[in-house]
Amino acid sequence: MNLRPILITGANGGLGIAMARSFLAESPDNFVWLGVHQRRNQVEKLAAENPGRCQLVVLDVADPASWQAAMVEILAAHARLEVLVNNAGAHADALLAQMKPASWSRVLSVNLDGVFHGCQAVMPAMISQHRGRIINIASLSAVLAPPGQTNYAAAKAGVVALTQSLAKEVARIGLTVNAICPGYIDTEATAAMDDATRLKAQSQIPMRRFGRPEEVAAAVLFLAGAQASYITGSVLKIDGGIF
Amino acid sequence: MNDSSELKSNLKHLLVENLMLQITPEQIGDDQPLFGPDGLGLDSVDALQLVVALEKHHGLKLADAEVARKTLHTVNTIAAAITAPKE
Repeated sequence: MNLRPILITGANGGLGIAMARSFLAESPDNFVWLGVHQRRNQVEKLAAENPGRCQLVVLDVADPASWQAAMVEILAAHARLEVLVNNAGAHADALLAQMKPASWSRVLSVNLDGVFHGCQAVMPAMISQHRGRIINIASLSAVLAPPGQTNYAAAKAGVVALTQSLAKEVARIGLTVNAICPGYIDTEATAAMDDATRLKAQSQIPMRRFGRPEEVAAAVLFLAGAQASYITGSVLKIDGGIF
Repeated sequence: MNDSSELKSNLKHLLVENLMLQITPEQIGDDQPLFGPDGLGLDSVDALQLVVALEKHHGLKLADAEVARKTLHTVNTIAAAITAPKE
């Protein structure tokens, strides 16, 4: 059996669950480590449905010690990690003039520091393997920079730049690092929109609909797969045509 | 081949295989600088791979950048660090 260990952070969210389900459906060789921090109801259900094929791992992405502990657990079980999907994220939208410094710090910490800590934590294993795929989930906010998201947009733009810089550092070792920028996707975050806001957002999307989590997951699987072997440092927008 | 020669030979194979060098292990001198234009020409990414490989295969932990710079100077300095009594 050629087991392929995959770690998804923020696995309990809509995107994380869709990615995990897609990896599990893709191949019986895929083993999915479900990185969870506080919320875990969805991943517990998924793990119960797929015994022996996925496992929860406690992971506070903003804490380097938590990453080290998670990697010790993963490597003890599988001796390697093939794919890291840095998917965990957090919002705290506000106009900059009214944004609390704690909101700025928290959003930067989870969205940007978390990706840095994650990439750094997997480096020894992936360098040693001479193989590995890192997929960072950024956001369309990284390029559109909407008002009210100075913290989130700055963090996600940082993720894009980190992705491109790291991709150059590790390309010849055999690692690829890519970013995905989802636009409006039907998840718990967009479910909180009122009808008027949702309709306005839809009117700005050339496809006139929000994306499905599975449509983002499909891109993650592609970038993690053999067919993407020559793609690194790329930033893929998945947004129904916004620009 | 004594233990020291065998270790240095192993290190040269490790360099060639892990860093995918386009030379043979025998072409690397024991005292040849590994980094810089006057030596083997390795760079910081090579150093990164070398640090990981040395820890994996020889248990050699390099505490900081300065220690790494001195240790990774030549095959001889790496071999000396591996065989040095552990504190």
